[in-house]
Amino acid sequence: MAEAVTFGIFAIVALAGAVTMLVAKNPVYSAVGLLSAMFALAVMYILLDAHLVAMVQVIIYAGAVMTLFLFVIMLIGVDNPNAYGPRPVSQSIVTWVVAGVFFAAIVLAGSGAWVTGSAAFGTADLNGTIENVADEMFGTWTIVFLSTVMLLTIAAVGTIALAYFTGADDDEAAA
Amino acid sequence: MENAAFLPVAFEVVLLVGALVVLLVAVVADRDRRWWGPVAGLSFALAGAVGFLQWREVEETGGGLFFSSLDVPVFRSPMVVLDGYSAFAAMLLAVVGFVGLLAAWDLVVKVGKRGPEFVVLVLLAFAGLHMMTATPNLVVIFIGLETASIAFYVLAGFVRTSEASKEAALKYFLLGSLASALFLYGVALVFGATGSLSIYGANSIRNFFSTVIVAEPGILLAGMALMLVGLAFKVTAAPFHQWAPDVYQGAPTGAVGLMSAGIKVAAFAAIGRIFIGGFISQIDAWGPIVAVIAALSMIVGTFLALVQDDIKRLLAYSGVAHAGYILTALVAGVQGIGPMWFYLATYSLMVVGAFAVVSTVAGPDAGRAPLADFGGLAKANPELGWLMSSLVLGMAGIPFFAGFVGKVLSFTAAASVENPWPAGDNGYLWLVVLGTLTTVIGLAFYLRIISTMFTGQEPELQTEATLPIRFAVVISAVVTVVFGIVPWPLIDVVRDALPL
Repeated sequence: MAEAVTFGIFAIVALAGAVTMLVAKNPVYSAVGLLSAMFALAVMYILLDAHLVAMVQVIIYAGAVMTLFLFVIMLIGVDNPNAYGPRPVSQSIVTWVVAGVFFAAIVLAGSGAWVTGSAAFGTADLNGTIENVADEMFGTWTIVFLSTVMLLTIAAVGTIALAYFTGADDDEAAA
Repeated sequence: MENAAFLPVAFEVVLLVGALVVLLVAVVADRDRRWWGPVAGLSFALAGAVGFLQWREVEETGGGLFFSSLDVPVFRSPMVVLDGYSAFAAMLLAVVGFVGLLAAWDLVVKVGKRGPEFVVLVLLAFAGLHMMTATPNLVVIFIGLETASIAFYVLAGFVRTSEASKEAALKYFLLGSLASALFLYGVALVFGATGSLSIYGANSIRNFFSTVIVAEPGILLAGMALMLVGLAFKVTAAPFHQWAPDVYQGAPTGAVGLMSAGIKVAAFAAIGRIFIGGFISQIDAWGPIVAVIAALSMIVGTFLALVQDDIKRLLAYSGVAHAGYILTALVAGVQGIGPMWFYLATYSLMVVGAFAVVSTVAGPDAGRAPLADFGGLAKANPELGWLMSSLVLGMAGIPFFAGFVGKVLSFTAAASVENPWPAGDNGYLWLVVLGTLTTVIGLAFYLRIISTMFTGQEPELQTEATLPIRFAVVISAVVTVVFGIVPWPLIDVVRDALPL
């Protein structure tokens, strides 16, 4: 019962945070909305016994990533939130209709749900301690863990390719 | 030590090593001598050799599943699969990468000191593309997809002085991220419905379907639909194609062939692996949806290609139609895999070759490429004109060119399905009829390219192709013609390129 109540409260917080992030005019409000959604998700993870993931969520996402977001927002400036002008009415109607249909489809699918027999197919031990997570991460998922290295290399190389060799070094400018 | 095999991941490792060598040497070495070309070419050649070794291994042992750790596999999910499917994908991607890089070489020369970064992005992107085809795990497919996509977003915006290139990159990035998110959402829902992320193995989706009777598949259907949308976006199937013409037109021409061919090969392979490998028991649910997407793609691609004045947009819409023809093969289930591979193997090279010609005429870093600029190309440079004509005829599906064989195989597969939707036992005959009609209508714009090249003014534009581009165009034209006249060797090979 306590679990259901906690879930209900934080599910509402997460949804409210996500909606705030989308509709807020001021980017700082959006960032705060995202922050509260992330905190609410961390609580969900604890409810699911995923303690390490919950801590990671708070420390890395709510802590480091959000700080980075806020830095970027401050660098760009929060004074002119309407720099791109209002969106055409027709466009926003279409947006809401499509989003509504999508949401309704997911709710419909979910309510007709037949949910997995996780007793037969889930893992028996769901306690997300550091030890268990490490066993999964460096046992079952080692290759995935290593593949993300490739992803990060791509990101770094891509950044260099787009931003480096400017000015005198830039062949395009010289040409 | 069966699990400690190196061969199943050797393709990725070879390309990753090649990329790291380029990156590390670029820090200290002279950037004016373009030594990174041979390194990248060698990497792709080695990767192709690895693909061949994998193919031999599969022929001898039948392939198998591979795990990340050495303990009892029952408790672990397999992460890598070696079968005819992944081995053929390895060979094909190595060839497409090699020819694509040849076709992009003018652009690499043009970007000057940023050449090593370009080459590294291409190498890593192809490693990611192969990862999508050689894993039973949906999360690994997603990581491979992201690796390739992020590299291609950057390639689309590589020419910093061009506004069109920047716009293309941003558009591709925003819409592509949405598609990736939808795919990931689908993976999560499928996990919720089946309790598994793996297609094969002890605890797998296939096992789940063979032991459980699915009474109310609500979440499962939603998950499958979202995964299909995510991948249909990547292969530019209608109605998820809107980004393609803008991105192809804005992106530097030299890179477009590589990007579009590479992502199509891998994303179609992923669709085949997930839906035919994993969800084959649900084919009654997804078959009709794929058929409708295929029909829409053929119609939208063909009719919008008719009215284009820019050859890059035209090729983009023709790509939408081709996505429809390939999806037509996939509605047939396992029988459709061979036709899909044949179509992909020939079409991907035609695309690379055609964009190589466009890159010569319009310039490797150009955004727009009006069709009118091709007027008189065949007179000014007969070699290029004839090669381009054979590529275009191949795409059009004229007999004795590879595109024709691909379409025949694909339509035959679709027509042989039993009890498709709507009810009846004539196969997906309506889809085949529609495909034939759009092929005939499509002739109009393909022949328009050829007639423009053989008539019209002597162009003042560049018509003398550089050596790498000539290699690329010749290779792709030879493939188009040879497999159009003698398709049986390739048909024999793709018959064995089946998922486990």
